[in-house]
Amino acid sequence: MTDSIVEHFFRHEYGKLVAVLSRKVGVQYLALVEDAVQFALLSGVELWARKGQPENPSAWLYRVAHNQLVGELRQRQSRERILGEQGPTIEDTCEDAQVLLSDDFSDDMLRMLFVCCSEQIPHQSQLILALKILCGFSIQEIASRLFLTEANVYKRYSRAKKTFKTAPNLLAENLDKTYVKRIPAVHKVLYLLFTEGYLSSRSEYTVRQELCDEAVRLTAMLAKHRYGHVPETFALLALMYFHLARMASRQDDAGSLLLLHQQDRSLWCAAHIQQGVFWLEKSAQGNVFSRYHAEAGIVVEHCMAPSFQETRWDNIVSCYEVIEAAAPSPLHRLNRAIAIAQWQGAEAGLALLKDYSAPAWLLDSFHWNATLADLHYRAGNRALANNYREAALKAAPNAAQKALILSRWRMLDSG
Amino acid sequence: MPSNKYFCIVRSESGSCEPPSPAKMEAMYAKFNTWKDTFKDNIVDMGGKLAAGGKVVTADSVSDGPFVEIKEIVGGYMIIAADSMAQAIEVVQASPGVGGVGSSVEIREISHA
Repeated sequence: MTDSIVEHFFRHEYGKLVAVLSRKVGVQYLALVEDAVQFALLSGVELWARKGQPENPSAWLYRVAHNQLVGELRQRQSRERILGEQGPTIEDTCEDAQVLLSDDFSDDMLRMLFVCCSEQIPHQSQLILALKILCGFSIQEIASRLFLTEANVYKRYSRAKKTFKTAPNLLAENLDKTYVKRIPAVHKVLYLLFTEGYLSSRSEYTVRQELCDEAVRLTAMLAKHRYGHVPETFALLALMYFHLARMASRQDDAGSLLLLHQQDRSLWCAAHIQQGVFWLEKSAQGNVFSRYHAEAGIVVEHCMAPSFQETRWDNIVSCYEVIEAAAPSPLHRLNRAIAIAQWQGAEAGLALLKDYSAPAWLLDSFHWNATLADLHYRAGNRALANNYREAALKAAPNAAQKALILSRWRMLDSG
Repeated sequence: MPSNKYFCIVRSESGSCEPPSPAKMEAMYAKFNTWKDTFKDNIVDMGGKLAAGGKVVTADSVSDGPFVEIKEIVGGYMIIAADSMAQAIEVVQASPGVGGVGSSVEIREISHA
């Protein structure tokens, strides 16, 4: 007999249980909660492997974690006597096990997500908190996924946890206003989580996919919940699905990066594109056109275009204009120039960058130099193009990027 | 069922390191289940994990054990069946018990005599 269990069961159970139990006892006891959940999962693994899985593994884990936590809190209570009256009240009964059978736990998970996005916590740390608490990654796993040292992740995590001691209310009370105020921060952290996975060229495909899947899971939960039921959430989710649809085609079999026009469009996942369209339609309401709307607007053009040549570059250009207005960034200017070049020719793209005083970091970057090398080459300025090529090669962050531009130039030079 | 029985003593380094992450536990669990399926004819008693601490008893004394100065402590046991020691080794080597850093399994045939 094989005890099959859905993928990521343990990791996701971890997030669920930590959220539910933290709501019960207060987020200031997060460390105890995490220990209790860890204990329950480990007991589960050891016991189930020998005796077989219980009929309802989730309820089993909840019961064990709950009892462990109650025992631990009791011990503390009698030991320190400080919990006394202000201490946590935690029922002995496990009637909440029922809660875990339904979808109600998503309420607790979302509250936890909003707590992770507290204003006092820096964005990078919010991301770490979400990965640790809601996605069930260990410090070491987070460090390897975000390319940080374990010590750094640990420091950020414990510092962020300290702020919870002063902000325990959000989990228990009905604070609709606070939730509304914090929604942009929540969107941002989900967006970060997704792009960490999607844009990173530094790690294995499966590892990156994992971060993207987690981002989608949490965003979908948010979109269906009253706290997050806003057009920006829908646009963000649409954006993620469109990107996800194309993820597998971004690399060839050898793991090398592929440019958009080299990608095999038949590999794009139709189901994800459909999901994206569904959420994009839902996002078209209200009077806010956010940067997530604009970004989703760009990717949907790519997803819907039958070929690279038939892409509606004019629509993409106008979306970049919106993004640039909403969140001015030299990179957006550069992207808009690329789109204009596709639409109206390389000279038009170059014209947009001509009088632009780009910051030094961009001028030294791989993106800037590779783009200008390309545009100048296409505009017939071979000498200039060569200068930029050299600069781009020097600035390329890793071997994959280097290989990408070299193959691009071989193609241009031979065609 | 193979003819000989072997008692397996699972040891791990005392003061074991970090608890495994949920993702690692998932992998452990999957590995255990695969092992169980593959060698179902060889597994006589899945055994169990031994709780920490215990007593060491002699005719005239009782003391706390296991001795803490021992670097590797016995953490679990199981009983397997195999036709030969070679086969027993094969079964044990595929088991999750030998996977961890610093963990080992001692195999002793249960004597018929």
